[in-house]
Parts: sequence; C-alpha cells; structure tokens
Amino acid sequence: MAKAASGRSRKVRHSESLDLLPVMNLFCCIIPFLLLSASFLEVTIIQMAQTEGIGAAGAGAVANLARSEEDRLQPKVILTDEEMFIGTVAGTAHVCYSFTQNVDGVDMLTYDFDSLTTKATEVHRLLSEAYPQIEFHKVTILTVEETRYDNIVAAIDACAASGFDQPGLQVAPTASVEQATDAAMGR
Amino acid sequence: MSTPTKRHVPLLIGYNKTKANVRGKKKVEVQLTSMIDMFTILVVFLLESYNSDGQIVTLSDALTLPKSTIQNPVSLRLEIQVNNRVIVVDGDPIVSVDENLLSTGNSIPVLVTRLRDHLEYSRQLRGTVTEEDTQINIQGDVAVPAILLQRVMSSCSEAGYATQNLEVIKMQEGGGTGNG
Repeated sequence: MAKAASGRSRKVRHSESLDLLPVMNLFCCIIPFLLLSASFLEVTIIQMAQTEGIGAAGAGAVANLARSEEDRLQPKVILTDEEMFIGTVAGTAHVCYSFTQNVDGVDMLTYDFDSLTTKATEVHRLLSEAYPQIEFHKVTILTVEETRYDNIVAAIDACAASGFDQPGLQVAPTASVEQATDAAMGR
Repeated sequence: MSTPTKRHVPLLIGYNKTKANVRGKKKVEVQLTSMIDMFTILVVFLLESYNSDGQIVTLSDALTLPKSTIQNPVSLRLEIQVNNRVIVVDGDPIVSVDENLLSTGNSIPVLVTRLRDHLEYSRQLRGTVTEEDTQINIQGDVAVPAILLQRVMSSCSEAGYATQNLEVIKMQEGGGTGNG
C-alpha cells in the first residue's frame, strides 16, 4: 500500500548564491594599487607661441609667406583694467567690461570670458572665410602690467576654445594701451 | 496576553548564528553584496583617476596654479616657480620680488645668468643642445601680475629657452578640476 502524500516536497532546496570571495580578494588587491597611482590634480601645459619671420630657404617660401600673413592678421585680445577688446587688422571691437569678484574673501578684477569665446569664434570664422588658404591658430594677449595671471590664462583658454590655440603674451604700460584702444575705438 | 518565550524573540544581530546553527555546525555566511557594491563604485572612480605616467612635476605649496581646459600633457623640463615673493629655478631661490622688479619690463639679469648656466651645463653634459633642452616650464601663482610673468618669459628667451610652457591645473569642460 502506497504511503500517503504528506504535502511536503522531499527535494532539498539549495540557496543559489554566488561565491563573492574571489571578487573581494581581487578588489582588495586593485584598490590599494589604484589609490597609490591615482592623481587627483592633473597638470597640463600651455605652450606659448614664438614669433616667426620669413626664412631664407626658398623651398618653404610659400609656407613662410602664409605664416607671415597669419602673423600680420592674427588677432589681439586686449585686457585693460576697465575693459576687454579684441582687435584685428580690420578693427577693434569691445568685448566686455571688467567687474570685481569676491573669491575666498579677496576682491579681484575679472572679465566675462564667455563673451570673449563668442567674439573670438566669430573673428576666427570671418578670418577663415576671408583667407581660406591660411589656418589661423595664433593670437596675442596684450595686457596692462597689473593684470592677474589667472585672467591671462582664462583669456588664453577662451581663445583656444575658439580655435586660436597658439597664444603669445605682450605686456605694455597702462597709459599706452588705453591710449591705443581709445584711438582704435574712436573715443 | 502572554510574554513571548526566549525562543520566539527575533535575533537581530548575527542573524545566522542561532544556537541551533552553531550546534549543528552549519556554515555561517557573511553578506558581501553591499560591500561588493561599494568596492565596485570605488574601483570605477579610481580607474577614472588612474594615471599611468605618474606625477612628474612637483607642485609647490607656495603656489596656486590657474585652471585651464587645455589638454597638452606636461613633460619633464627645467622649472621656474614664480609667486609674489620669490622666483625659484630648479628649487633654488634666485631673486626676490620687490617694487624695483615690477617697475620695468626687461629681462632679469640674475635669472638670465642662472638659466644660461643651466643650458651650458646641459650642453657640456651631452655635447649638444636639443630642442627639448630649450624648453622650460613656468609655474606661476594665480596672483602674479602680468609684468612679472613677462619679465620671466623675456629672461627665458634671452637665455636661449625658445619654448616656454605655462603649467596649469587641468579643468574638465564642466568646470571641475581634474578628477578630484
């Protein structure tokens, strides 16, 4: 006579869990290694451009002429204590006025660099359309003596974002820069 | 209502370690899932900030480098550190920054001499000067005025260092610095 069913399954239920210990071992090896080799501040460089003249070799004359033309046409970003301008051979345009910003309890002069990016992009487009044989990369940052280094780097950054990725630096006395910009703007 | 017996009180800590389990020598398992989750996040973050090149430049505590989105990798060159107090070449303080130094825009004679000596040393060591030898890295503090930077760069050019690199802290497009 068959045994009556008890209503319970006789199958042994195994819990299906992954063995995570090898993964833990691997992680315990990887994490100290990565912690040692992690760099939380990465240093990069801005390569400042050299002024190039026309070389004596005849073979590269066309390239050199194009380069000298680029030098002649390269725009200048002018930073004074009050304003920022962008100037080309075609003329000088106002970009923005300076303003004071409080950073870590210190008041410092700064500019609207987004406006510079917009204007510099427009200048790059106009120059590329007018002179399609020349690739424009050079730009000169012309500042007065007191301009802070971080403002210079921010201006270089804004120009690089617009395609002018070979910056040069010129520093001139405040009076002469203001006189030149006033003359250029017809004030 | 009767109070629950000792057997019915739920054991909150050491869930699997009931007396019955210990007596029956059942295997006690630690729940590793949450720890694995945490480690996975940590590993992904550290892999993101992993740098196979290592730190090849030493940043001085006396400097705060400006931030930039420019991506050019830094290479090991002669270094000048400039802040509002002193100019340091290769770890040696060369000249103090004062009002006189900030009054003109020409090169700094003491700095030119020191840089020329270094270039001459490289020339004698290798017999020749390569293009790499004429490159120099400048670490400038954010508060350095343009005239001081211009004087340092002018001195580098006069000493024969044709290419001057400004060291900056890499900033992500969104505005964060590096990975940290």
